[in-house]
Amino acid sequence: MILRHVLMSFLFLLLLGVESVLAAVGCDLNDPDRDVARLFPGSTGYRTSYASIDKKGGEPLLREVEKRLGEPFQGLFETIDVPYTIYEVLNGTQVIGYIHGVNQKGQYGGIQVFLCLDPDGIIRNFYFQKLTSKAAKELRSPEFGKQFIGLSLKDFEAYDVLSGKAPAGSPVSAIQNPVPEAETDFRASLRATKKNLILMDVFVLRPH
Amino acid sequence: MISIYTVSYKNLLRKKTRSLLTVVGIGLSAWVLASLLGFNEGYESALNKDIDNMGFQVLLTAKGCPYEAATLMLKGGTGLRYMKESIVDQVLSNEEVEKITPMLMHAVFDPNKGESGGITAYLGVDPATFPAMKSFLEFKQGKWFSEPEAMEAVLGYEAAELEQREVGDILLIPNINAEVKVVGILKRTGTQDDGTIFLPIRTVQRLFEKTGDLTGIGIKVDKNADIAQFEEKLYQLPDVQVVSLAQVKQTILNLVSTAKVMVASIAIVAILIATVGVINTVLMSVFERFQEIGILKSIGAMPLDVFKLIWIETLVLCLLGGGVGIVLALGLSQTTGILIRRLLPYAPTGSLITLNTEIVITTLLTVVLIGLVSGIYPAWRAARVRPLEAIRSEVA
Repeated sequence: MILRHVLMSFLFLLLLGVESVLAAVGCDLNDPDRDVARLFPGSTGYRTSYASIDKKGGEPLLREVEKRLGEPFQGLFETIDVPYTIYEVLNGTQVIGYIHGVNQKGQYGGIQVFLCLDPDGIIRNFYFQKLTSKAAKELRSPEFGKQFIGLSLKDFEAYDVLSGKAPAGSPVSAIQNPVPEAETDFRASLRATKKNLILMDVFVLRPH
Repeated sequence: MISIYTVSYKNLLRKKTRSLLTVVGIGLSAWVLASLLGFNEGYESALNKDIDNMGFQVLLTAKGCPYEAATLMLKGGTGLRYMKESIVDQVLSNEEVEKITPMLMHAVFDPNKGESGGITAYLGVDPATFPAMKSFLEFKQGKWFSEPEAMEAVLGYEAAELEQREVGDILLIPNINAEVKVVGILKRTGTQDDGTIFLPIRTVQRLFEKTGDLTGIGIKVDKNADIAQFEEKLYQLPDVQVVSLAQVKQTILNLVSTAKVMVASIAIVAILIATVGVINTVLMSVFERFQEIGILKSIGAMPLDVFKLIWIETLVLCLLGGGVGIVLALGLSQTTGILIRRLLPYAPTGSLITLNTEIVITTLLTVVLIGLVSGIYPAWRAARVRPLEAIRSEVA
């Protein structure tokens, strides 16, 4: 009887006050232990830290990020106080890179783009943790992700998120959309990548 | 002729500071007492309100069905069991039922969630009954569905955040590639509703080929009904399980009653301190007026007159202190509630301290009783003073 009461109370607490399992604040890896090892071969561990534009530099930093992105933050969820989780990837005690994800609005739902960067900010791996799209299968294919490997913020700086155009001959212009009908989600992926690189630059690689 | 009450009152005014400090001491004790009684009342009523705000007190599900999202996710979206819609009429035929709302949860495997796929759950709700039953839900954007079978969705705040959806956006249901239009985003509630994607129940039944099936029925029970008896009736229905929040509430109230014992202990200590303070003050006053009491008796005052005089003084002090305490409790109840909430972050919403007439009267009566009891000894000592001894002590 006591056990029943305890269980019922636990359920009550679940119903009343515990964040739902469907909930996502910021953008975390679903299973960091497994995901870090998979995304960053050669890693032996990781450290987690948290950053937000609000805490790192407030309004001036927001304006700088928006200027570099080429578009103001939009909507209900792309706000100054979104917490970002940064995974510092280790080999022994040596930092061998970073993993960082951002949420991005897609045509049919949320997109979560994670980038694995080396200490110089070069993309080592590209991962859609979540992608609600009719072209999800093609966009999540290894072939699509491979196109981002070796690129860095320098390559994305000239990419215009509003028009979806990159200077001819630039590495970003060479990224192919596997499904032309999914242009919106393709552009969303590039925007998320550029935003991710800018945030890593201001939070970790070249903080103010 | 001057009355005994006036004499008592004037006596208290002769030592204003001491009388004032005594009144303040009693006032503080009365404040603590009234606030603690108000907390007992307020906490229970706030908890009741929170449970009422959940919309229904009883949830009926198919036997073995994981009836809430967390369990469903832990089970990997499997194990959903269904009841036939006809059970709604059977439940409604019970006189204890005030309202009901049928629900159908459906979980979809999304291969593009995480490395190896994940589960997204959709809760089909009845647009005619669900919003009315969960009237506390507020919208950040938009509103409920436009039609009972609309291809529309209302998202809890965190579901909307995960899907990055706003009103007017399209949401894709994976696997079946169905598109629904987002018509509402709810404000945060701190409950599992935050992570829920709501669709009209008919739409869920049609999309997932579950016409005539339900996974749960939320039941709001009539306030005067015996919930335990009603639950027994529900168990007579075939293949259902009953999840009762009334039982949960009782468990929580049992836990709270432990806290109440501690609260009562604090109140008793406060009362004891006040009693000792009053005895001390009045006894000091009696000793200081030893010779005066002797003269009163030598000119004809009877022991009972002296007893009454001192007793009334005590009573006046306690009544004044009680009044001060009640004013403090009424004036500072909001502040006290905020302080308690800081100490108890998971306290129910709403006012934690409810001060009603009954509590005010109880506090006043308690304080008066303290006065009557604590005045007995000093009054008895005063009544026993022998006039000649008193006058002689003055000469000495």
